[in-house]
Amino acid sequence: MLQCIFLLSDSGEVMLEKQLTGQRVDRSICTWFWEHTVSQGDSPKLQSVIASPTHYLFQVLREGITFLACTQVEMPPLMGIEFLCRVADVLTDYLGSLNEDLIKDNFVIVYELLDEMIDNGFPLTTEPNILREMIAPPNIANKMLSVVTGNSSNVSDILPGATSSCIPWRTTNLKYANNEVYVDLVEEMDAIINRDGVLVKCEIYGEVQVNSHLSGVPDLTLSFANPAVLDDVRFHPCVRFRPWEAHQILSFVPPDGQFKLMSYRVRKLKSSPIYVKPQLTSDAGTCRVSVLVGIRNDPGKTIDSITVQFQLPSCVLSADLNSNYGTVNILANKTCSWTIGKIPKDKAPAMSGTLLLETGLERLHVFPTFQVGFRIMGVALSGLKIDKLDLKNLPKPPYKGFRALTRAGEFEVRS
Amino acid sequence: MTSHRPADCSAHFGPAYGLAGAEGQPIRLGWSVFGEDNQPGPATSTSSTSFSLQNGRLGCFSLKFFNLVSEIQWPTFRPRLDLRVHFRLIMAPPWQSQRSSSPSQPAGKGEVADVKTQLRNLAGSRAPGVDDSKRELFKKVISYMTIGIDVSSVFGEMVMCSATSDIVLKKMCYLYVGNYAKVNPDLALLTINFLQRDCKDEDPMIRGLALRSLCSLRVTNLVEYLVGPLGAGLKDNNSYVRMIAVMGVLKLYHISASTCVDADFPTTLKHLLLNDQDTQVVANCLSALQEIWSLGGSASEEVSREREILLSKPVIYYLLNRIREFSEWAQCLVLELVAKYVPADPNEIFDVMNLLEDRLQHANGAVVLATTKVFLQLTLSMTDVHQQVYERIKAPLLTLVSSGSPEQSYAVLSHLHLLVMRAPFIFSSDYKHFYCQYNEPSYVKRLKLEMLTAVANESNTYEIVTELCEYAANVDIPIARESIRAVGKIALQQYDVNAIVDRLLQFLEMEKDYVTAEALVLVKDLLRKYPQWSQDCIAVVGNISSKNVQEPKAKAALIWMLGEYSQEMHDAPYILEGLIENWEDEHSAEVRLHLLTAVMKCFFKRPPETQKSLGAALAAGLADFHQDVHDRALFYYRLLQYKISVAEQVVNPPKQAVSVFADTQSSEIKDRIFDEFNSLSVVYQKPSYMFTYKEHRGPFEFSDEIGNVSIGTESADTVDPNRVEANDKDLLLSTSEKEETRGLNNSSSAYSAPSYDASSVSVPTSQLSGLVISNPSVSGNAPQSSFAIDDLLGLGLAVAPAPAPSPPPLKLNPKAVLDPTSFQQKWRQLPISLSQEYSMNPQGVAALTTPQALLRHMQGQAIHCIASGGQSPNFKFFFFAQKAEESSTFLVECVVNTSSAKAQIKIKADDQSATRPFSSVFQSALSKFGMP
Repeated sequence: MLQCIFLLSDSGEVMLEKQLTGQRVDRSICTWFWEHTVSQGDSPKLQSVIASPTHYLFQVLREGITFLACTQVEMPPLMGIEFLCRVADVLTDYLGSLNEDLIKDNFVIVYELLDEMIDNGFPLTTEPNILREMIAPPNIANKMLSVVTGNSSNVSDILPGATSSCIPWRTTNLKYANNEVYVDLVEEMDAIINRDGVLVKCEIYGEVQVNSHLSGVPDLTLSFANPAVLDDVRFHPCVRFRPWEAHQILSFVPPDGQFKLMSYRVRKLKSSPIYVKPQLTSDAGTCRVSVLVGIRNDPGKTIDSITVQFQLPSCVLSADLNSNYGTVNILANKTCSWTIGKIPKDKAPAMSGTLLLETGLERLHVFPTFQVGFRIMGVALSGLKIDKLDLKNLPKPPYKGFRALTRAGEFEVRS
Repeated sequence: MTSHRPADCSAHFGPAYGLAGAEGQPIRLGWSVFGEDNQPGPATSTSSTSFSLQNGRLGCFSLKFFNLVSEIQWPTFRPRLDLRVHFRLIMAPPWQSQRSSSPSQPAGKGEVADVKTQLRNLAGSRAPGVDDSKRELFKKVISYMTIGIDVSSVFGEMVMCSATSDIVLKKMCYLYVGNYAKVNPDLALLTINFLQRDCKDEDPMIRGLALRSLCSLRVTNLVEYLVGPLGAGLKDNNSYVRMIAVMGVLKLYHISASTCVDADFPTTLKHLLLNDQDTQVVANCLSALQEIWSLGGSASEEVSREREILLSKPVIYYLLNRIREFSEWAQCLVLELVAKYVPADPNEIFDVMNLLEDRLQHANGAVVLATTKVFLQLTLSMTDVHQQVYERIKAPLLTLVSSGSPEQSYAVLSHLHLLVMRAPFIFSSDYKHFYCQYNEPSYVKRLKLEMLTAVANESNTYEIVTELCEYAANVDIPIARESIRAVGKIALQQYDVNAIVDRLLQFLEMEKDYVTAEALVLVKDLLRKYPQWSQDCIAVVGNISSKNVQEPKAKAALIWMLGEYSQEMHDAPYILEGLIENWEDEHSAEVRLHLLTAVMKCFFKRPPETQKSLGAALAAGLADFHQDVHDRALFYYRLLQYKISVAEQVVNPPKQAVSVFADTQSSEIKDRIFDEFNSLSVVYQKPSYMFTYKEHRGPFEFSDEIGNVSIGTESADTVDPNRVEANDKDLLLSTSEKEETRGLNNSSSAYSAPSYDASSVSVPTSQLSGLVISNPSVSGNAPQSSFAIDDLLGLGLAVAPAPAPSPPPLKLNPKAVLDPTSFQQKWRQLPISLSQEYSMNPQGVAALTTPQALLRHMQGQAIHCIASGGQSPNFKFFFFAQKAEESSTFLVECVVNTSSAKAQIKIKADDQSATRPFSSVFQSALSKFGMP
């Protein structure tokens, strides 16, 4: 089980240390870890499980903050990693976002949270709803109140009812003046398009995100018009498995606030909404580049935030790239980024120019991979459609909202 | 397989896999002992009592406490400084001063002393707002502590200030005390009083926190103060306090095991485990008991009995029936336990799997992997179902890989990698999941490349190779190299290589030095397996200028081809001549060795053109400072002197194609890692005994070595059948022809390049090693040799009938002694010198109703048992024996399956040479078992 948790800043400074068992872990492990990180160069690409000379380390990097956990015993690796991810999520939830200053200013809360989340190296509860009842999040209202009343405790004075209830993810006596529930379909399209323009792989990873502000203990049923498109699904613990198994219906008592109800995967999609056609031709030490972007399959809604990014190969000395639409930037790390936005009606966006190669190099041998970004509001490209959402056990009918969004995940075009 | 949706999952396990649980009912047994099960679902909430904080209790120290405090030496008092700070504290709004105490500011000893003074002033104060001031100071102290400044000097003051009703102040104080109590055991005594008082607070939260802090002090001479509060905590009516008390028991056990046992806490935990309403309390009991028993040492009979009870049907079913109520982390714990459970019959296995199936859809990856492990372990003995399990867990695992954070996906991918390597054919339609994304770190790409290589079969090879070829132009050069190697590996495992050969030859024309280098090595391997492609390959290879090839491995490969195909390549003698002229500049001995051999081969094919270079090469070789090069040159020289025709036979014998290249990782290690599914071993691709120390091994480690079997002669049911490795190896192999051929890798007889026939003419080892070096896949060949023996012997013995072999010459010491620790140590250190399967005679099988029967019998043969366990049909034994005259020891692991009448024997020995005589002694002893 985990023996110690450290939070490190992006300069390797120990911001927080939480010893979990009797065997103290010396801080020198952080120094070792940091030197290891620096020696690896590219820190975001560091392995999540590392063997140091004395301990096994789990590390998760979020917004420049490294969550580091140490153990000396064999344990399920996912337990360590998943727990650290939850710690990061809970802290983000509590502090609004995650950065060095926020953690340093609120380290007492972080300690309090860790105290409730893990005991003796074994994770207890990571459910934000329960934690919220035990430790009040820091917010302006709290602070104002404490100045006025002089009562500065940020701890609620009752123990959460949920700790002993059958629905651990929900508090029991919630009351809202306006009952609302929002359901969002958020999809990410991962695709690989090869040198010949063939769609080698195209799949969608999607999430059903729910934001619920409902009184009491409501019982919700969400059904899809076409659940058959889903290839694999994962559920929030609140989802009852049997109704899904029998009728592909999501039946659940929701946690309060924002949560991920379900995530799913849709494989083997046949087309992508846009095309990106790069062309590179080398001749006598220079390489001509031209990239065309356009709509392949009109999803029926506007495609916006289109970007095309690629890394110039190291053998390129200089690049002169222009576009007929949008802006082209070449960043210091030799990343070329072309921001297009929406595709105009009257012309097809194109970027072209020349790359000057190193002396002695006739042709370009290393071909860049173009990473494409886009966003489509109002459409779930997998085709998944929500049929209806029924609510039971509520005093009055709530407001129900539905949205859909698709964006590019790992969408790459090889040249 | 084609896409399969969760909807039709239940159908995947065949008709039997739908027995119980399909109606949504949990498995129910007649175990009334444990009280009523809670009904899962949105039932009404339990009563939540509200507790309000009591105000106006500031400064209510007990007399005893004051007496303690007064014994401490306080530092000198500095009033002026104190006033200044006090003023600031009162004026500044809390959130501003909070920022000023940000730990990034440097703080020295002076500041610590300041804080100390201020704290002292506040300690007795009852002024309004004093809590806010305290809070600021506490924050400061803890922020110093966090950035690593030693603030232990304010311990006394912190304790004095701890009398407060403010829970945040309390928490900060607990945190501080927990951090410094261990180094200040004398001062820690000061805290006992207020912690004990807090343990009786009205607010369960404070009771719990105080109890947790009390147990976290970890000061040995204070344990007496723990027993009372812990006992009360375990009986507390609030589950929060009970849950903390359970963990407290474990902490107490770590500090003083005897105190813990004397207070009978483990028994209380056992009771709570089976009876508490709150699942978190149950989970904590489980975790604490497991750790306590694993620390208690496996030697104790009592402990092994306790473990047995934990793994018994009632307990497992009790936990399984409540699994949905457990928190996700507790579910992992329960699942980990269930994976060790041995169900009595197939129906039970299906029941468990049906109950747990929805866990595969859990949002928490740790739960999914733990469930996967249960499924895999339960079905090890059922080939068909085991395969269905692979099909079933495939989609959830692939989703986990693509949905989680990069950190999570790597860990899942490592597990997926393990499964793909075991059963590639099941994943062959999912090859696109293993395509590398541009942004992925190279360790992920490497795993994916290996998986792509493994899943390649007749139907997907073309696409996979096309994809791999795209990586050859990758920016990441190591990955580009790996992908070329992957293409080569696929070529070597396929029957139809037309397309691949073309691709490889294209690599040679890419004019990138590392691509050329990798491709050359591959073409060489390819030619050894498919000599029929020599025409096409040689045409391209001939165009490569040896000047462009710098890497030793590639150069060696090129030289090998020059020697081997000197007949077909016009320039061969002249290229070799050029290389020999630059003998001095060639730094790699490997290349020089190859050069010698190549020039010899060339000489026999084209004598007039090569004679001069051969002379030059032999002269240069004889003068070489490298021993191997020198020896080989001398050997060739003498060989040529002796008889040219013999020399030709040695150097240039007719060759057969290599059918299979040796595998690098032994299958024993792979099986070991598989047994440790869902552990760090999988990520490191090493079984845990290779990288963790024994003392650091996980608590309650069942699945490893002999720790899992009860020591001594008592029987235990803790042996899991998953250790019956032979079984599960067969499970997957039988289903695919391709797998079968790969299985051959383990027998070195398959590795039969006849050029090694030369060894029969007593070629020195340098000749062999020189040839072998050029084949990278042979490097990890060491364990193979044992398999060879194993195979040779195994053939004879597997069919050998019961009659005992002739009386063995080996004498064993009938009074041999070996303590369990040294046995474990030896077992870990020694390599396996013999591993084989042995058919038992029917009488023996019939007599093996309990492990004891065999133990007594073997003891009579001077073979002693150190550990045994198991239930019919699987028994496992660890034996040892010593030679009569010397202290040379033999260790044996023997796994007997009574239903198949087979015994798997692994022998490790101090004296390797005595292994075979010993093995015959052992077998004769075994064969006499059950004979009247």
